[in-house]
Amino acid sequence: MRWLRGLRRQETTPTRLISVAVLTAVALAITFILPPVANSQLAGGAAITIVILGLSWLIGWSGQISLGNSGFMAVGAYAAGIWAHHHATTPLIFTFALATVVGGLSGLVVAIPSTRLRGPYLAGMTLAFSAAITPLAQNFSSVTGGEGGIFFNTLTTPGWFQHLFSGVDATINANAQWTADLAVMTAGVTFFIMANLFHSRTGRAMRLVRDNDVAAELMGVNLSRTRTFAFVVAASFAGLGGALFSLINATVRPETFPLTLSITLLTLMVLGGIGTLSGAVIGGIVYSFSTNLVSHINSLTGVNPASNLGANMQGIIFGVLLILTMLFAPRGIAGLGIKAVNLRHSRAVLASDENVN
Amino acid sequence: MIRVSDLSVNYGAIRALRNVSFEATPGKITAVLGANGAGKTTLLRAISGLVTPQTGTILLGEQSLARVATENIARMGVAHVPEGRGVIEELTVEENLRLGALASKVNISEGIEAQYAQFPVLGDRRRKYCGTLSGGERQMLAMARALIARPKVLLLDEPSLGLAPQVTAELMKTILSACESENLTVILVEQNAKSALRISHDAVVLHLGAVVASGSAAEVAADEDLRRYYLGLVEE
Amino acid sequence: MSSFLTSSFMSNIFGGLAQGVIYSLVALSLVIIWQSTHVLNFAQGAMAMFATYVGMTQIDRGLSYWWCVILSVVVGMAFGGITERVLIRPLYGKPEINPIVVMVGFLGVIEAVTTAIWTSTSRNIAAPFSQIYFKAGGKLVLLSPFIIFQIILAVVIMMLVAALFRFTRLGLQLRASALAPEVARLLGVRVNRMLTIGWMLSAGVGSIAAVILASGSFGLFPTNMDGVFVAGFIAAAVGGLDSPVGAIAGGLIIGLTEQFVLAYWSPSVAPLGGMIVLVAVLMIRPHGIFTRSVSRRV
Ligand SMILES: Nc1ncnc2c1ncn2[C@@H]1O[C@H](COP(=O)(O)OP(=O)(O)OP(=O)(O)O)[C@@H](O)[C@H]1O
Ligand SMILES: [Mg+2]
Repeated sequence: MRWLRGLRRQETTPTRLISVAVLTAVALAITFILPPVANSQLAGGAAITIVILGLSWLIGWSGQISLGNSGFMAVGAYAAGIWAHHHATTPLIFTFALATVVGGLSGLVVAIPSTRLRGPYLAGMTLAFSAAITPLAQNFSSVTGGEGGIFFNTLTTPGWFQHLFSGVDATINANAQWTADLAVMTAGVTFFIMANLFHSRTGRAMRLVRDNDVAAELMGVNLSRTRTFAFVVAASFAGLGGALFSLINATVRPETFPLTLSITLLTLMVLGGIGTLSGAVIGGIVYSFSTNLVSHINSLTGVNPASNLGANMQGIIFGVLLILTMLFAPRGIAGLGIKAVNLRHSRAVLASDENVN
Repeated sequence: MIRVSDLSVNYGAIRALRNVSFEATPGKITAVLGANGAGKTTLLRAISGLVTPQTGTILLGEQSLARVATENIARMGVAHVPEGRGVIEELTVEENLRLGALASKVNISEGIEAQYAQFPVLGDRRRKYCGTLSGGERQMLAMARALIARPKVLLLDEPSLGLAPQVTAELMKTILSACESENLTVILVEQNAKSALRISHDAVVLHLGAVVASGSAAEVAADEDLRRYYLGLVEE
Repeated sequence: MSSFLTSSFMSNIFGGLAQGVIYSLVALSLVIIWQSTHVLNFAQGAMAMFATYVGMTQIDRGLSYWWCVILSVVVGMAFGGITERVLIRPLYGKPEINPIVVMVGFLGVIEAVTTAIWTSTSRNIAAPFSQIYFKAGGKLVLLSPFIIFQIILAVVIMMLVAALFRFTRLGLQLRASALAPEVARLLGVRVNRMLTIGWMLSAGVGSIAAVILASGSFGLFPTNMDGVFVAGFIAAAVGGLDSPVGAIAGGLIIGLTEQFVLAYWSPSVAPLGGMIVLVAVLMIRPHGIFTRSVSRRV
């Protein structure tokens, strides 16, 4: 697995680029063998990965606990949806850029009062933000479509891609896969950006601020600017992820962004591993599989999926997973992986020491 | 009676106490002396169960204190006035005293009145928040709060710290009279070796976590080397 | 006089106070456990809601309203105590994100389980007080017997809690454990037990808030405490997370603010009103209005 080296800290940007490109290519190749339903799920997972990358950066690297990222997702989604509603011919890349910028701006607005707050104050503040945002959207129903939301369906599969498919469901298959490919590529780009950010000077300053803000200040790091920057980055990632998420659903509406979405995001991030790049991807993959996983558990336990319990199984499982992970493996799946690698590494070192002696 | 044998305490790599053994007997004051960082506070914290020793035993009478929770050690009659006195500033004088009596069998209001009789200044300030007390008043409150539960053992961590010499002398007298009248086992941790040795019966000298001397207070006070190298009592 | 009572201004005051006391109770319950364990319990609302389901649905079995209220509080207290023992105790001394995450997960579990058991349909819980508004001089005063009951019950509970902390042995030990756990231990206070009792008390107070809310016009449904929790948290933060008096004042401030925003702008932006108050307060005093110490833990 030499090519995965690029994801390690000490590696340079070009090697990192190669690693991310290889990973993205593998994911793209997988979309060719997946059935359309699975491709849609994969697309959702890729969108969620983008959001978790931002959240992991915010919580894991800057040490600021946010429960507001579902709110930032909503902002990005509405920005994209409303724009696309009025300017249907705008290239998608521009709509996404808009969602990213507007999401980032909403992060700035929340950050200005919030970066002065610590821990639970901050968590509660951001929770209040995400609780306030969807009612606010519903209030301006002439623009946002109120409860029903707005149609967001500007994704067009290019002709050359269409031609790769044949048979009865050619269009459906092509559309599903194109959506997944687009989402995977977007996730790849954001992953690359975040990988560089993690290991940049700013990233190091960010961790210093998290671990010892007094020392950081003495070393000339501007605390509130650094914290605000973390928020803006996380919110723009959430905005982009939210737009992508809504594009996959073809609508933007309030019920896509309930408070429980923040819980889901937190679960996936913690499960994957707080503050790790691979954890965000693991979280996205878990999200992709979650529907299947839940129906599998329902059938294993003999619970009728249409029953009350079956319908709420996902909420129960996610909550329990979150609690268990935090209690017993607070560094998540990526943390377990790192531990295993380190163990092997230190054994190797021991072995070579013995050889010398 | 407190009997400590072979007690070792580590904080990570730091060895704060190394195989410490000594006895403190009822009706006597045992002074524990030593420079900063010698391990005096750690010793008292180990007796109270606030730190877990690596090796060794601590006996209260016949009973081992190993794995007994701090609050239960307190309930067994060990009163501990911690470094910095541990007066709760957000509570009133009376509330602090009440708290000291809660866990014991004594009648609370009688106990409080007895302490006010002993320390009249506390009675005058009974409704004041302790954050407003002076250092000397706080020390008196801490003593009163420890004595109100009629303990068998009294652990004092640098009670003279920050007090004027005259107040310190008063305090030492109070400690001595409490010790004798109640047949208390007193372990008195002090940096101020001079005033501590004046009232103590026995003394233990700690250096870098190990006992370098122990015996009667008079013997320790008379030892030139101890005075010079460990207690800083000889002026050059 | 009667025209004063029926004025829209007074109506908003009544409405704001009625809502505000619920927020005050939730804020108070959050402050109780914040003081003792430095955990912000994100599942506070959901736990109270669950206890209310267990207690108040006994009305269907023929239990009277008042017994159901008592049962809800008892269940809530037990639930609070067990939660502290099982979920929170292993997390003392861990980074502050850990208990936050665990309680957020717990919130998800409780709401999903409640929906699985009782469905998401709102159920009506009739308090033995009329919800019909009084009239003065032919016009409505926005006060009903139920609203008066709601305010009185909340105030009584707050006074009981205050008296418990202020005047009892237990209250003194609870305060000492929160203020100086190590010193309390040295004085023989069973601090661990106090932490559990603190959580029980807090959950009991939260349950009263949920019972009042469920007896009102929206009824009882699995997410009915979500918005109230957020508002209660905002209230606690406005007052200062370690000030019980601040929590109560904060609740009233947020209740009134929301009511006026709702009346003069739109119901759907009411939550925003509370948030703006919070932002304004925290800009000036990052630890709330009523906190004594502004010193920061480094
Ligand atoms: N919580 C702790 N963690 C790590 N090391 C500690 C801790 N407490 C004390 N130490 C170390 O253990 C040693 C003994 O400390 P202790 O507080 O017992 O000394 P002391 O004799 O009471 O000193 P002083 O006279 O200054 O109060 C010191 O080297 C101190 O740095
Ligand atoms: Mg000391």
